[in-house]
Amino acid sequence: MSTQARVAILGFGLTGRIAALMLAERYQISVFEQAKQGTESSAGSVAAAMLAPLAESVICDEALALQGLESMKLWPQLLAKLENPVFFQQQGSLIVAHGQDRGDLVSFQQRLKPLRDHSAEVVNGARIAQLEPELGGVFHQGLYLPCEGQLDNQAFYQSSAATLTKQGVEINYGVHCNEAQKAQLSQAYDWVIDCRGLGAKATCNGLRGVRGEVARIYAPEVTLTRPVRLMHPRYPIYIAPKPDHQFVIGATEIESQDNGEITVRSTLELLSAAYSVHRGFAEARVLSLLAGLRPAFKDNHPKIEQQGNVISINGLYRHGYLLAPLIVKQALSKELL
Amino acid sequence: MQSLTDTKLTIYGEQFTSRMLIGSALYPSPEVMQAAIATSGAEIVTVSLRRQQTKQAGDDFWTLIKEMGLRVLPNTAGCHSVKEAVTLAQMCREVFATDWIKLELIGDEYNLQPDPIALLEATEILLKDGFKVLPYCTDDLVLCQRLDALGCEVLMPWGAPIGTGKGLLNPYNLQTIRTRLPHQTLIVDAGLGLPSHACQALELGYDAVLLNSAVAGAGCPITMAKAFEASTVAGRLSYLAKAMPQKEVASPSTPTLGMPFWHAN
Repeated sequence: MSTQARVAILGFGLTGRIAALMLAERYQISVFEQAKQGTESSAGSVAAAMLAPLAESVICDEALALQGLESMKLWPQLLAKLENPVFFQQQGSLIVAHGQDRGDLVSFQQRLKPLRDHSAEVVNGARIAQLEPELGGVFHQGLYLPCEGQLDNQAFYQSSAATLTKQGVEINYGVHCNEAQKAQLSQAYDWVIDCRGLGAKATCNGLRGVRGEVARIYAPEVTLTRPVRLMHPRYPIYIAPKPDHQFVIGATEIESQDNGEITVRSTLELLSAAYSVHRGFAEARVLSLLAGLRPAFKDNHPKIEQQGNVISINGLYRHGYLLAPLIVKQALSKELL
Repeated sequence: MQSLTDTKLTIYGEQFTSRMLIGSALYPSPEVMQAAIATSGAEIVTVSLRRQQTKQAGDDFWTLIKEMGLRVLPNTAGCHSVKEAVTLAQMCREVFATDWIKLELIGDEYNLQPDPIALLEATEILLKDGFKVLPYCTDDLVLCQRLDALGCEVLMPWGAPIGTGKGLLNPYNLQTIRTRLPHQTLIVDAGLGLPSHACQALELGYDAVLLNSAVAGAGCPITMAKAFEASTVAGRLSYLAKAMPQKEVASPSTPTLGMPFWHAN
């Protein structure tokens, strides 16, 4: 009979998976996820999975961006725990703007907060062509942010589920935990890690959803070696190359709880942005058009709370992949790691 | 000593002390938005409704807006056709329980320049439907006269295209509108980047300014909100005080009579 302490993880999105991976070797874990298997719509399954602390420093405070920088370092350790390799890349990101949006690029550059010894390199057309040969001649100025990276979130979702199952983690799909059930679980388990995101909205004061939409496409005629961010007046649009000529283009950012299908307007914005960067996207195949809700608090910062044996991690907003490893580690460090 | 008394900003019969209307988009976070808007002293906040933000779906964000206790001015940002703008105005009336609408009808996607022809058509429809329309328009005198004739009690010509921060590109046009429509409540909407731009608009006799990006996109939105508040107060006081006339030749402020001859040249 196992003498390991028992941990219940509520929610099998990005934070729930990371928590499970960090704890699986030491604890007996049960996961409770409201979605049915294969129908996940959590923010982590929809995201472009960018690791962009320097670019994000434009909209968040320096402390959060520095946390992102620290957090990125934890990804290789986490991915090393997985059975199947997951695409992870840290070759920087390229920021470009069309002529009409040059003002936005200048403003973006002015607002970048240098993070320790990491800063942006101003690049001209020749340097852009050196970094991304297929963009040579298209853009004549931009920024190169060498410290940034990305990973393949779909592969991470698949591989983490397979690995955790193999490690004996019990994953219960299609089980929605409300507060009463959470209280029951806190009696039955030594620890409860609440990673429900917006599933905890009813009792999580100030938590809101911020809608995001992404397109995943297959574009055999396009080769990009790193994420390219295109200046857009309302939200950052990344074209993030994943393995096998797949690209994730996203994401929109709309203050809405609506998690219905992507709109035509957003689809047009995302796909025309991609096409304006590289004409090869014209013949790409659309693999999926997804919409999801990012859980966020009023200050857009993540929160860790502990009440008795229940630890809650929530509000990672648009910084899930960037911050989750560090935030989950911080949440678990005191009592469980 | 002569003291100057000011009237209040009047919008469709409602009176306000602050002469700045402020937008609620593009802030780094809702927390910063609330703090910046509170610091600005603005009593009217504009909000844009998108189709995905029905009453239920957008409730969290509307709660953040409502928490501030300000008069809400919904807008039809992003609309390109009369039908689209009218439908969105009707949705706004339902969601925000107000008959105020900032009517924004874009004619050129890149410049976000208002479509004057569609604007007149939509204004007429909405006024007949009981809306109190605040049209966002270009700085064209004849267009403003037509909007005035339709019954608008507020006109909002642009200073420069939305989000450019270029300030008042054509002060002459704006001055002409002010002079020719002295009874109208005039608000410079869009294109402001600096507090001095807002000050200039108020100095011209505009009743108020409406801005968003200049504060939301500043390095420190809260401090910039304070700067804009000070500039609107300064601009209004300057307008009331009536500036000295400009002259083509220098006129010394210290009389030269009695100046010792060895100081000459």
